[in-house]
Amino acid sequence: MTLSIREAFGRELARLGKKNKKIVAISCDLKDACKLSFFFEKFPKRSFEVGIAEANAVGIAAGLSMSGFRPFLASFASFITGKNIEIRTSISYNKCGVVIVGTHGGLIGPDGATQSSVQDIAVMRSLPYFEIIQPSSPRETKQIINYSSLSKKPIYLRIARNEVTEFLPKNYKFKIGLPSLIKRGKRNLVISSGPILSNCFMAVKKLGNNIGVLNLSSIKPINEKYIIRILKNYKNIITVEDHSIIGGLGSIIAEIIAKNNLNKNLKIHGIKDDFVDSDTPSSLEKFYKLDIKSLEKIFKKFFRI
Amino acid sequence: MLNKSALNYCKNIRKKIIFSIYYARSGHVGPSLSCVELIYSILKLGINYKKKNRNKFVLSKGHAAPTLYATLDEFNLLKKNELKTLRKVKSRLQGHPDKKKLNLVDTGTGALGQGLSISIGYSLGSKLLNSNNKIFCLLGDGEIQEGQIWESAMYIGAHNLKNIIVFIDGNKFQNERSIAETLPEKNLLKKWESFGFKTMRINGHSLIAIEKIIKSFLKSKNKKPILVYCDTIKGKGVSFMENNNKFHSVKDLSEENYRKAISELS
Repeated sequence: MTLSIREAFGRELARLGKKNKKIVAISCDLKDACKLSFFFEKFPKRSFEVGIAEANAVGIAAGLSMSGFRPFLASFASFITGKNIEIRTSISYNKCGVVIVGTHGGLIGPDGATQSSVQDIAVMRSLPYFEIIQPSSPRETKQIINYSSLSKKPIYLRIARNEVTEFLPKNYKFKIGLPSLIKRGKRNLVISSGPILSNCFMAVKKLGNNIGVLNLSSIKPINEKYIIRILKNYKNIITVEDHSIIGGLGSIIAEIIAKNNLNKNLKIHGIKDDFVDSDTPSSLEKFYKLDIKSLEKIFKKFFRI
Repeated sequence: MLNKSALNYCKNIRKKIIFSIYYARSGHVGPSLSCVELIYSILKLGINYKKKNRNKFVLSKGHAAPTLYATLDEFNLLKKNELKTLRKVKSRLQGHPDKKKLNLVDTGTGALGQGLSISIGYSLGSKLLNSNNKIFCLLGDGEIQEGQIWESAMYIGAHNLKNIIVFIDGNKFQNERSIAETLPEKNLLKKWESFGFKTMRINGHSLIAIEKIIKSFLKSKNKKPILVYCDTIKGKGVSFMENNNKFHSVKDLSEENYRKAISELS
């Protein structure tokens, strides 16, 4: 099954909306691109088109949440997480149960730097009470949308537009706070999440059995005791992300390693402190060395295979 | 409902504002004193704190928190001596309203420009629940320089959200200087009208004028959302604070000024 993560999100939200009448959807003139349109078509009364006014949308979501609803506010990740002061005061300060869905996280293609979101995790991580989740496959997306619809917490969902072939097993279960070891290894570990995880998984498959792969879809919170237990089995750790190397997955793992005096070799692989260029998503993956082939090379070198 | 005792209530609220800011050794005294009659009337006539599903009050100009707290205290909704804890650790009375700490607050605010959007959320929520709740939103006249206010105004007008009433505390000053020196307003009421509001301009210290508007808003079937521009005086009630922007936000109100202010209000 190959499906884009945003499509899996849109379809699942529309499915859940039938049973859960608390779900409402808010769009900023991007409901088709964000796949909120499935929900809008099915539940027009619980759907609100705000126009190109993300700040207003954030406040409206906060007010709807304080009225007892569970708003899903979706826009491009770069646009919506750019509304920091609005999210901080209206949602975070009020501890509002709003789900902000940032689609088009990572390398999105020819639209280029302004529309690509490679700083959103760093920006959202510092906001109190927010959980941050990045689904890695269609199967996991469904479970995460279900979790988000039932939770009362503020949540930031980082959703990619990339198509991902399902690679997580049928019995896979998402649990908030718990990273999931999707492949065991010896000494060497790759940590990633989102669509790039599938690239990592494919690259590792070609390199044999001694590399483990950890899915860090629950970016905040992370059960630290749990992840330390996993990290203890590995010596060489590489984090891979379609996000700035400042404040993303790599930073999170570095913090855990430093705080707990774990003796590890850590490499942080992601977007350096810069904006990304325009091109097709696959060309961009190659350019930023996040495609399967480049990752294979990087893993080989770092793990000395 | 608003009679002579209402005047006394407002006097007491002003004393409590001065008292709590004196104890806190800091606070926005000028812009708190300008909206006493407005907040008193909104809470008295519009909000029934005993009801669970009720009308909402969004204090978008969150720096007038001392007025909100003093009014709640005047209605015996705070603990004894709680006003003395303003702006202190572990207090329910934080520098700007904190809904998490004080659940009587309908919305935590502080960074300006956001309360009107939240009012829309409450308005839509009320419609979805068929609850017919009304939403009161109080803005500062400096605050409306924020672009988000106009995003909200556009939405409210386009969807004709008639259960929202917006008051602007027109005290003519902002943080540093007067509005006129900073960013003069042009055709303000016409702007709101063009967005689809019914507009009015009143004396924001006239309890009778405010009462009339609130009662008709609560009763009648409004055809449009309402915007009320209220002419007010910054620092109202204390002669040396009136129209004196040094008292926008005070650090350490001197004992002399504190006594003078209280005696003027007594």
